[in-house]
Amino acid sequence: MQQIFDDIRGDFRYDHELNGCLNCGICTATCPSAQFYDYSPREIVQLLWTENVEQIYDAMQEKIWACAQCMTCAARCPFKNSPGGLVAIMREVAIKHEMQSAKDVLRPFGRVMLKLITTGNQLSPDMIQPDHFPDWGPNIQKVEGDLRILRKAIPVKTLQTVETAWEVSLKTSVEMYTIWEMTGVLKSLELMDENLFDVIEDFIDEKREDYEEWLEEQEEDDGA
Amino acid sequence: MSDHTPGNHNQTAQGAGPGTMKPGFHNTDGQGIAGHGSFFQATDLAREDAIKATDWVRKHVDRRTIDLGDRMDDAREHMYELEKDGQIIIHRIGEQHEPVTVKTLFGWDKQIPTKQLWHHKSCGQCGNIPGYPTSLLWLMNGFGFVPGKDYLDETDQTSCTAWNYHGSGIGNVESLAAVFLRNFHQAYVSGKQHGHELGHFFPLVHCGTSFGNYKEIRKYLIESAELREKVTKILGKLGRLVDGKLVIPEEIIHYSEWVHVMRNRIASELQTIDVSNIRTTAHVACHYYKMVHEDAIYDPDVLGGNRTAIITSTAKALGAQVIDYSTWYDCCGFGFRHIISEREFTRSFTMDRKIRVVREEANADVLLTNDTGCVTTMDKNQWIGKAHEQNFQVPIMAEVQFAALACGADPLKIVQLQWHASPCEDLVEKMGISWSEAKKHFQAYLKEVEAGNIEYLYNPELAYGGKV
Ligand code: SF4
Ligand code: SF4
Repeated sequence: MQQIFDDIRGDFRYDHELNGCLNCGICTATCPSAQFYDYSPREIVQLLWTENVEQIYDAMQEKIWACAQCMTCAARCPFKNSPGGLVAIMREVAIKHEMQSAKDVLRPFGRVMLKLITTGNQLSPDMIQPDHFPDWGPNIQKVEGDLRILRKAIPVKTLQTVETAWEVSLKTSVEMYTIWEMTGVLKSLELMDENLFDVIEDFIDEKREDYEEWLEEQEEDDGA
Repeated sequence: MSDHTPGNHNQTAQGAGPGTMKPGFHNTDGQGIAGHGSFFQATDLAREDAIKATDWVRKHVDRRTIDLGDRMDDAREHMYELEKDGQIIIHRIGEQHEPVTVKTLFGWDKQIPTKQLWHHKSCGQCGNIPGYPTSLLWLMNGFGFVPGKDYLDETDQTSCTAWNYHGSGIGNVESLAAVFLRNFHQAYVSGKQHGHELGHFFPLVHCGTSFGNYKEIRKYLIESAELREKVTKILGKLGRLVDGKLVIPEEIIHYSEWVHVMRNRIASELQTIDVSNIRTTAHVACHYYKMVHEDAIYDPDVLGGNRTAIITSTAKALGAQVIDYSTWYDCCGFGFRHIISEREFTRSFTMDRKIRVVREEANADVLLTNDTGCVTTMDKNQWIGKAHEQNFQVPIMAEVQFAALACGADPLKIVQLQWHASPCEDLVEKMGISWSEAKKHFQAYLKEVEAGNIEYLYNPELAYGGKV
């Protein structure tokens, strides 16, 4: 537990985000999540400020996942604290420590992570279909038609895609995979969801091979 | 009777007098005000003085123009120092970008380039609300911009990945910084392929979250030598350093800032439709003006400079009515993770705090916003509201889509309103455009598309590095 707190406090952003606290509650008054959950940004700030390690750990079991990351609190706080920013640090630490709360909370978010980590886009037209979002209604488009054709009717070439929000070049994707590896993002993903990690790793390997092949082809073309 | 004079209300408000404090508060001398401690004394200001004092506070504190020297650093100053030190290269805004200078919340100057822009797309927008980027490109074409010279839209870019970070915590400052620098390095060198100099195209960020995230990350990058060192290794491996240095843009520019500085030209040169009968309301994206808030644009001519000028300024320039509503400050309820896995929160928040208020208080014809997540949240959640007896509906779109409509853009082919779930048809009709005619034309056009006859806003080859 102490280690968890030390990791939070050790983040270089910590001093940016926490400067003391007036206990004025402005952050909680303007916080959307505070209106819906048993959650209060002021409480998060106070917990960290008063270094109550046990309660900090408790808050990380559930509460921190309520935050909508809108940063209304940060814009309003007279002390220039950012409770939302502190929550971001706490989430990263929860993942680093493989907290069960993080695993549970993030499972439904897997599809978005898969999309992002493999394609560099987070939302794609094929995700916004009625079967994925039944609560968005039966007619989430005003014109009937095949998704592929509807996308082709967008007068911008890069947007005529279905599986990604825009077309991303192969080289760009491969560069992004390098970033994921070098910054430990794939590692955190493995800690959180091993199955998802396996799927993603296969995908990345395949894309990298495609890229190598493409490079070889280019060389051959140049040589010819 | 209670007196609401500023400064005097504590003396007369019911329940705030001596002896009426909540348990736990000390009121030893009978003069303390509930919750403030016994040392707190009412000011006893005369009414006029109290009003004067309150006005001063509103002017200086609400707008955060106070104590800036000590409390807030201008990130750009540090960037210039780092550049002088030979540590980074700043992607500068020059004459060629034809910038317009505006004021930010703290009264600082910010330059908004109007030309030679590298479109940094938004995954949410392009995936879900493609009428956003198409309206923007269409307006640029309307000004006679030459694609490949005055703007570039290419495939060599990833999303900022901040949605995932804010939603899940998977990702970290280092990965966000590397993605930021990779994309903006590409913006810096992109002109070369098209026969221009380095830095020809300046990045124009379409997404509110990318905008907030990039500014935050830029701040960390210039403050932390350790972070710079770490990402320099990564960018080096990617071959994305210039002379061994990181490239950081002088300003981070949001598309709505471009619309803001171009609004009068849009109205005078391109507008063809009178929108004075349209009641508009604005929802400004949290990540536009609450994150790194010192950088958001405020204009004394727009709502007295008490709110960020973005969106409202454009609605005003187009001649539309601007109507206020009490929950303007609230977020839309997107919440990153919430829109996927806490839909009840997202729906309730957007319906109760935004759509209902905008409908009941403002009777708005449209709610204009400037971010992907906000349009998605407020647009898509209206249908399920009905199941909860929340029978309010309001069309939702970006101000740039509204501007394009006012300039005569086709509501389906260009503004792409067919992807919106909210009832845009009534608004379009009220603007004097026939939705049914537009739909008929569009359906005929879909047949053409099927046959391979596709219309483009620019030569599609440009997206792959081809020539104009
Ligand atoms: S960032 Fe989180 S804590 Fe802050 S106001 Fe938004 S939801 Fe509340
Ligand atoms: S707004 Fe700031 S000072 Fe006030 S309670 Fe919240 S964190 Fe503390």
